[in-house]
Amino acid sequence: MSLAVVGGVFLASIFIGRYPEPFWMPLRVLQEDPLARQLVLRLRLPRLITALLLGMVLSAAGTAMQMIFRNPLVEPGFLGVSQGAAFGAAVSILWLTRHPLIIELSATFFSLLALAGAYFLSTRIRYGGWVLRLILSGVAVSALFSAGVGVLKYLADPLTELPELTFWMLGGLYSVTWRDLLFALPFALLGIGVAFVMRWRVNLLSLNDETAFSLGATLGRERLLLLIATVSATAALTAISGIIGWIGLIIPHIARRIFGASAEKSLPAAMLLGGIFSMLADDLARTLLPGEIPLGILTSAIGAILFIYLMISMGIKVRSHE
Amino acid sequence: MLSLEGIHFQYHPLDPIVLSDLSLEIPAERVTAILGPNGTGKTTLLHILLGLLKPKQGTTWVAGKQHQDYSRRELSRLIGLVPQFESIPFNFSVYEYVLLGRSPHLNPFQLPGDEDHEIACQALETAGILHLAEKPVMEISGGERQLVHIARVFTQGTSILLLDEPTAHLDLQNQNRILSILKKMAAGGSTAVMTTHDPNAAIYAADYFVLMNKGQIAAKGSVEEVITPQNLSGIYQTPIRVEKVDGFTMVVMDQEGVL
Repeated sequence: MSLAVVGGVFLASIFIGRYPEPFWMPLRVLQEDPLARQLVLRLRLPRLITALLLGMVLSAAGTAMQMIFRNPLVEPGFLGVSQGAAFGAAVSILWLTRHPLIIELSATFFSLLALAGAYFLSTRIRYGGWVLRLILSGVAVSALFSAGVGVLKYLADPLTELPELTFWMLGGLYSVTWRDLLFALPFALLGIGVAFVMRWRVNLLSLNDETAFSLGATLGRERLLLLIATVSATAALTAISGIIGWIGLIIPHIARRIFGASAEKSLPAAMLLGGIFSMLADDLARTLLPGEIPLGILTSAIGAILFIYLMISMGIKVRSHE
Repeated sequence: MLSLEGIHFQYHPLDPIVLSDLSLEIPAERVTAILGPNGTGKTTLLHILLGLLKPKQGTTWVAGKQHQDYSRRELSRLIGLVPQFESIPFNFSVYEYVLLGRSPHLNPFQLPGDEDHEIACQALETAGILHLAEKPVMEISGGERQLVHIARVFTQGTSILLLDEPTAHLDLQNQNRILSILKKMAAGGSTAVMTTHDPNAAIYAADYFVLMNKGQIAAKGSVEEVITPQNLSGIYQTPIRVEKVDGFTMVVMDQEGVL
């Protein structure tokens, strides 16, 4: 059923855009107009698949991280992963190469560095509960990397590199090519695959350390595997899409609300919902206005409104004493 | 079944020593109660028995082998834990939570199968909480929560059970339920070790007593050997009487009120 909805949204999205006229391309045009076929095959298809994967990966990473860190307010962005990826991608664009694989590897490296930094810092803070410490260190590490990105922007050539960097930071899939997608695909599939096969186990990783240990979890190893897989996938996609916020925070909440707390159901559900959400948001991004609206702006706006709704309707429960 | 030899433990080289030269043999198929003042190392001792903490010196044995000779999963099929308190950040249903007890029997990429579901249902029934199966764990009472922990250990199917203050914060009826379950388990061939601050709860449920003080064992043995006014008054530094009421041993504070 959910897969059918994903398929339906995917098929419909192929026809949504602003060519030859706003909003909808009739099937007849696709059959008769060679330019329309080129547009769908070369631009819209890779873009759509990337949107689907992006939503799935961010939601899977969000669910996994919320459970591993025992904190329903965690999302990749909070722990510096997104800013780390942005920094890594910018470093590569400016100083190394614009080859998609190198950009993605650099983004992945700095994401993992940011995550490790945020986690380490949270263990060194001597006050506050676990939730507070983690959020504080995530904010600090994010700020460091975003300052780093600022420096790189300052150093960038204002005519060639800066506009590209700036628009990229706002997040968008307008320039995705098959080649970009091809390089991100292995990371994305690995992240989605590992999260999917560990969907029941991740419940165990959300328990107290002593309990999870007594139930046979090798906590360090299992958490690391899941984190590396989902963070690499997030970074690889962020490297081609720019920073897309809020999906990783809000979609896991909605999935838990509908399908219950156990990640056995809520994690695959979050992946499908995330895929649908990000495809629809991207449809809006390329059709609402004559120019492209950066996807990151749209997901933030919609995500924030949903978040406010969930908060006031008690959909999000945080236990402040932890 | 479970024993410790010459254990020394401290959390950090600069921290005070928590346990020193501690040796203990836990009798099999019995309930053992570990008593002692706050901060005397009871929970640390329990975590060493579990294998969670590794002592600086000394050896720990379980079922004829040292703890480190078992894999994580093998050990968790032998020893189960009922923690004193567990914060659960996500609102699992009681059933989903109890089913996690099957983890030691599955690899990290496996989902629970029909047999696992059956075992979880049976465990809920044995613990008398089948009616709570669909309830969210965050919305049940403290006593019910403790029964849920016990049902999870049943699901785990271990022959050794470690309980950290299982009756703390529970009303008398729930205390009675938990302690009766423990006695039944020991009668059925399980080995249980519980820490407790309540000597009367220990006397009710346990067959073997360990009284700890300042990281060492002050007394161990039967109720008559361990639960004496001299031992208790000395360690708790407050006058304590031990009386027989209708054939039952009772620990009573010597001033006012019942302990």
